[in-house]
Amino acid sequence: MAANESAPRAHEGTGVTPLSGVGTAVWYDPNAELELGEPPAAETVDPDAERERFEDARDRARAELERERERTAERVGEDEAAVFDAHKQFVDDPQIIDGVEAAVDDGLPAEHAVDAAFEDPIAQFEGMDGRMAERADDLRDVRDRLLRLLTDADRVDLASLSDGSILLAERLTPSDTAQLDPERVAGFATIEGGRTSHAAIFARSLGIPAVVGVGDGLESIDDGADVLIDGEEGTVIANPTPDQRERAAGGRDVEIREDPVETADGRAVEVAANVGTLAELEGAVAQGADGIGLFRTEFLFLDREAPPDEDEQFEVYREALAAFPEGRVVVRTLDVGGDKPIPYLETPDADNPFLGQRGIRRSLGPDADLFETQLRALLRAAAAESGTLSVMFPMVATVPELEAALETVADVAADLESEGIEHERPELGAMIETPSAAFIADELAERVDFLSIGTNDLTQYVMAAARENERVADLRDPCEPAVLRAIERTVAAADAGDAWVGMCGEMAGDPDLAPLLVGLGLDELSMSAVTIPEVKAAIANIETDAAEALANRATDAATRTTVYEHVNTTTDQ
Amino acid sequence: MERTVTVVPEDGLHARPAAKFVETATEFDADVRVAPADGDDPVDAASMLAVTSLGVASGEDVRLIAEGDDAEAALDDLEELLATPETESAAESSSGT
Repeated sequence: MAANESAPRAHEGTGVTPLSGVGTAVWYDPNAELELGEPPAAETVDPDAERERFEDARDRARAELERERERTAERVGEDEAAVFDAHKQFVDDPQIIDGVEAAVDDGLPAEHAVDAAFEDPIAQFEGMDGRMAERADDLRDVRDRLLRLLTDADRVDLASLSDGSILLAERLTPSDTAQLDPERVAGFATIEGGRTSHAAIFARSLGIPAVVGVGDGLESIDDGADVLIDGEEGTVIANPTPDQRERAAGGRDVEIREDPVETADGRAVEVAANVGTLAELEGAVAQGADGIGLFRTEFLFLDREAPPDEDEQFEVYREALAAFPEGRVVVRTLDVGGDKPIPYLETPDADNPFLGQRGIRRSLGPDADLFETQLRALLRAAAAESGTLSVMFPMVATVPELEAALETVADVAADLESEGIEHERPELGAMIETPSAAFIADELAERVDFLSIGTNDLTQYVMAAARENERVADLRDPCEPAVLRAIERTVAAADAGDAWVGMCGEMAGDPDLAPLLVGLGLDELSMSAVTIPEVKAAIANIETDAAEALANRATDAATRTTVYEHVNTTTDQ
Repeated sequence: MERTVTVVPEDGLHARPAAKFVETATEFDADVRVAPADGDDPVDAASMLAVTSLGVASGEDVRLIAEGDDAEAALDDLEELLATPETESAAESSSGT
């Protein structure tokens, strides 16, 4: 009884990720800066100058939205990124522009004119039901962006919150959530919002502990308080007792291991991070990554007028290697052609771009020059730092493709040699993402140093279930026996070909599946940095014999349901 | 030039389908307007605000009205867009692996 009385009360909401986190509360009030005050007298305002300020704010808003769109597409997915297209259209909406210009002509400064022009549309959408009411949120988001740009208000930089922050807010807009850095935010809770809110979708994609729709009670938690977010139970607790912390599901309480990890009986498994930008390196190191298992290089190429030159790329790869002086950095060569348009690259429309010219198919075709430049930068970086650089090619489907890529590496090395430029041959690998690559994994393994299984694409192609099609979402499960058998086959081929084998899809970051993956024989698992501590902890508990037995049962299973039964039985033991 | 089309995407003229609709409508040298088939004044198809505020749901008919050099091409493309289920035309994420 006494214990219950002293335990802090839990605020109930909707948990959106089965993760928990403890950290320091930071209240986020984006609108505090945007109070406009009274407009100046109309005759002191120059409408032409105000129109120009408005135009300028729109230009900057578009550029910001483009960056956020790319960032979101990369981290969360196209569906979520599309909201920024809608925002761009609101920025260019003739009805809004007419409203602003009319108000400017009446003598209002641009910021007051923007505020006024959005008022009616927001009210109109607010009065409607669910989905239309969300449009009101979008309009507020766009309005606030324009106001911030017009008033030079500081944006609360959510991307640079202190490590271990628990973000508390009334609500989080798409623009807010796009900035969240899972390596810094230990969790968040919002007063409003449901399971399908932007904030919830981001939290799930990024693996951030989160509870939404807590209600006004959340306001009783002070800035700076110690807060526990339990996304499994859907609770938020200020100043939790040690007992409450312990009861919270999974979570960040897991110890961060800076050293490589072994199973209970001593088999080493490398645990690495997937990163897209240099900014994410720090988080990867902080979460105890042994290295980088997937460095997506697309980010270097997006959001600019021309491709990065050799020296610029060299610096980036060198810096990634420098972050892991004793580890390994696996760089994926440019993988475009699916959906991410790059303005200076010609990407013809195709009915099924994901079954079209993407990845290595472009690098050996229209993007051959880019490919060569990228390889030059990579070979130079390999010589510049002590860590191991590995380079892998995406979307390999045939042996000649792989051989052509390897030949390009040899040609580039010969060029660098004759130019007297310091370089080193990196480890070379093929990604196993297509069913064909899984079938010929033995041929591929004989020709490279490693194989890396990209389970997200492998699953969509093996199951013929497109990544963004919700109607076939249930088929897109890497625990489908067909996918597991493709993985099993790949690992066996790697072993026979003396290649090491890693995995860099989402499956690799699920601690519940770690026993299965260790049992299947993966040497390396690469994931979002946020899940590294849990996966390392899981690996440390695994007995290899039991894991191998589990893997055998799972690959023999006829259905996914049976696979999960086996996985759960093993986990519960 | 005018045409009546049934809206197929599950989301109706909201969210992504609306964004695509507006994007397409502004690609042509034509003034395009849109209205629910059962009345109401047509609104500017270049305005995301106006288009989403119509509240057109999946399965409802809309009237497309276009004037200008590319009017026919605009109507063709918009009709095709509205007749395509969202999931088929949805771009996909290649962020991963």
